[in-house]
Amino acid sequence: MNFELNEDQAALAESLSRLLADRYGFEKRRALTASGAAHDEKTWAGLAELGLTALPVPEALGGFGGGARDLLPAMQAFGRSLSMEPFLASAVLAGTALRLGADEAMQTRLLPGMASGEIVSAWAHDEPAGRHAPLWVETRAERKDGGWKLDGIKSNVPAGGLARYFVVSARIAGAPADANGCALFLVDAKDAGVALREFRLVDDTAAGELVLTQAAAQPLANPEDSTRTRLAIQGTVAAGIAAVCADMSGAAQAAFDLAMDYLRTRKQFGRLIGENQALRHRASEMLVSLEMARSMAMAAAVAADDASAEDSAPDLHRAKLSVARNARNVALGAIQLHGGIGMTEEYAVGHYLRRIHVLDQMFGDADAHAARLAAALL
Amino acid sequence: MDLDLTPEQRAFRDEVRTFIREKLPSEIRERLRAGHPPRKQDTVAWQRILNERGWAAPHWPKRYGGADLGPMERLILLDEAYRAPAPLPQAFNVGMLGPVLMKFGTPAQCDHFLPRLANLDIWFCQGFSEPGSGSDLASLRTAARREGDHYIVNGQKIWTTTAHLADWVFALVRTDTEARKQEGISFLLIDLRTPGITIRPIHSIDGEHHLNEVFFDEVRVPVGNLVGQENKGWDCAKFLLSNERTGIANVGLCRERLDYARELAGRYTQAGKPLLDDPKLRADIAMLEAETRALEITNWRFLLTDSEQKRLPAFASVLKLKGTELQQEINALLARIVGPGGLERRSADEVTHGPIAPRYFYSRAASIYGGTTEVQKDILAKAIVG
Repeated sequence: MNFELNEDQAALAESLSRLLADRYGFEKRRALTASGAAHDEKTWAGLAELGLTALPVPEALGGFGGGARDLLPAMQAFGRSLSMEPFLASAVLAGTALRLGADEAMQTRLLPGMASGEIVSAWAHDEPAGRHAPLWVETRAERKDGGWKLDGIKSNVPAGGLARYFVVSARIAGAPADANGCALFLVDAKDAGVALREFRLVDDTAAGELVLTQAAAQPLANPEDSTRTRLAIQGTVAAGIAAVCADMSGAAQAAFDLAMDYLRTRKQFGRLIGENQALRHRASEMLVSLEMARSMAMAAAVAADDASAEDSAPDLHRAKLSVARNARNVALGAIQLHGGIGMTEEYAVGHYLRRIHVLDQMFGDADAHAARLAAALL
Repeated sequence: MDLDLTPEQRAFRDEVRTFIREKLPSEIRERLRAGHPPRKQDTVAWQRILNERGWAAPHWPKRYGGADLGPMERLILLDEAYRAPAPLPQAFNVGMLGPVLMKFGTPAQCDHFLPRLANLDIWFCQGFSEPGSGSDLASLRTAARREGDHYIVNGQKIWTTTAHLADWVFALVRTDTEARKQEGISFLLIDLRTPGITIRPIHSIDGEHHLNEVFFDEVRVPVGNLVGQENKGWDCAKFLLSNERTGIANVGLCRERLDYARELAGRYTQAGKPLLDDPKLRADIAMLEAETRALEITNWRFLLTDSEQKRLPAFASVLKLKGTELQQEINALLARIVGPGGLERRSADEVTHGPIAPRYFYSRAASIYGGTTEVQKDILAKAIVG
């Protein structure tokens, strides 16, 4: 058993924290959102320079072959700084889907550019009717004129407006929830059949609704290979769960730190509010929640990397459930301990609740994962 | 970063598991599984079996009959005991007094007591709490005055778990009434057969007799039974309370009780259907299992790496708080599952029908003993707020 970062992980986390402290202070982030920008291009370039965008890419394709463990400290840093960079969408989700689902030619075509940060891709899998179902694909793919055309709607596509390509799940056979009959396709954002309705999520990050109308698509690999598709989707979701668990634990840590600073500096009734036992006890409960979230973020990373291990599948569900609940507890407590100022948009603490709420809704919320664990009890 | 046991640790776990399967009397296992607390004879019998193997006091050095095991191996032993379930080594002897004697006792005290503690030839109980000093332990008033080569002890202890089963008590007594409250305390070993000692039962809300009041009336204790220096007993007490943290989170207990909850929920029916058919109940079990896993990993992080302990010096309070909360929630879940079937008061000898509801009542003690939940939160707050 080992809970430490190795030297490379620690060094990268340190450099990333410096970059984010410089580029993503809360005031800078506010200015960025006010400007209408979807992200900060200089930060993105910095991430590429640090090699972070290359981290999950295989070494043969210009990357470092890193896994969820290597991404854990980076994702925590993104959570702490409320990053709006398309890292989850492109490097983690689309990158994993391509790595697991694409044939060699397509990997060679795309992954080096994604490693260098020049190409941003997005993962377009969730559909409105599926809600938290792990697999619900109504989007249809049909063969036409020697190629493939897609029709359907993908909801809440993270970083949709920044993407040059979409990795899209579509059905070539069967009903929406069938385990088989799906394939993964690459869709060029500039194709005539692609329409993206861009919006901001409630945590200010960019997303979009992808409407595909006879959109030209290229299968990542043999579209008849349903097993590979299923494993690629599962692996991508697992990488996503590990990443957002780390992100939420980082966000919770930052909210916790702000609240503790506030308890140590804010005075009311002639004394520091941190002298009041009711508030001190709330702080202690938040710490317990924070530690549980940190532990389960580790469990999620290990489970995503070692998909065949005995505890892997239940640990991913447990982690998504436990991190979301515990991180949310911390954020709620942090707002409460701040009082009125915690309710304002110009102060950072409430933004952590917004972020945790958004991430809780991705890849199945806490209730959905509790239900999946519950089903396994039968 | 990884959460796996090493091959050696896995082999050790298998060895322990096999040992328990082969040596633990099935009657003891069944009683514990049904929710009975271990009887004295169960604890004694099992501890002697463990002691033969060197596992009764796994964290003690070998020269005192321990196994000198590292923290992970100790956790494995504990988890496997819970998993079986088997009685745990008697905590007052093994977890508390033994390490205090090794740190503060004389060679003669160590040589005399340690082998007997490990083999449970002597059953110790703990005489700390008093009617006027619960969480504020240092305010204790039981007094010992020196007369020749004896201390004369007068006063009263309360909440003394298993005093009615015990041969000896280790007690905190005030030997200097003038000093600041932590500074006039001494740590004494007292033979409970000494004239002047009266033990009265306290029946707790589970209807059982675990707790006692112990009265001392001019009780003569040889000065050779002082542990450490006179008036320095608070050092022994602090060491004792902070020393053995392997079991503080009680992860194995949570696991075993959750497994039992699943088993019972499959067995108990409502209107012809197993309770496990109810998705709400299943989701509650799933939630508690997820939180138990979170506690387990947190326990590993804190107990197995120095860096986590340095990051958060008050880590033991996190483990106690969360472990207590989960134990209580799981006991409440079990009481919900047995429901009306758990209402009939039954004799303690019925092996098949365990005292699930009474045990749920008694689980409320977990957030009171060993530093209340509120005291733990005070400790944590001091570490994080200042």
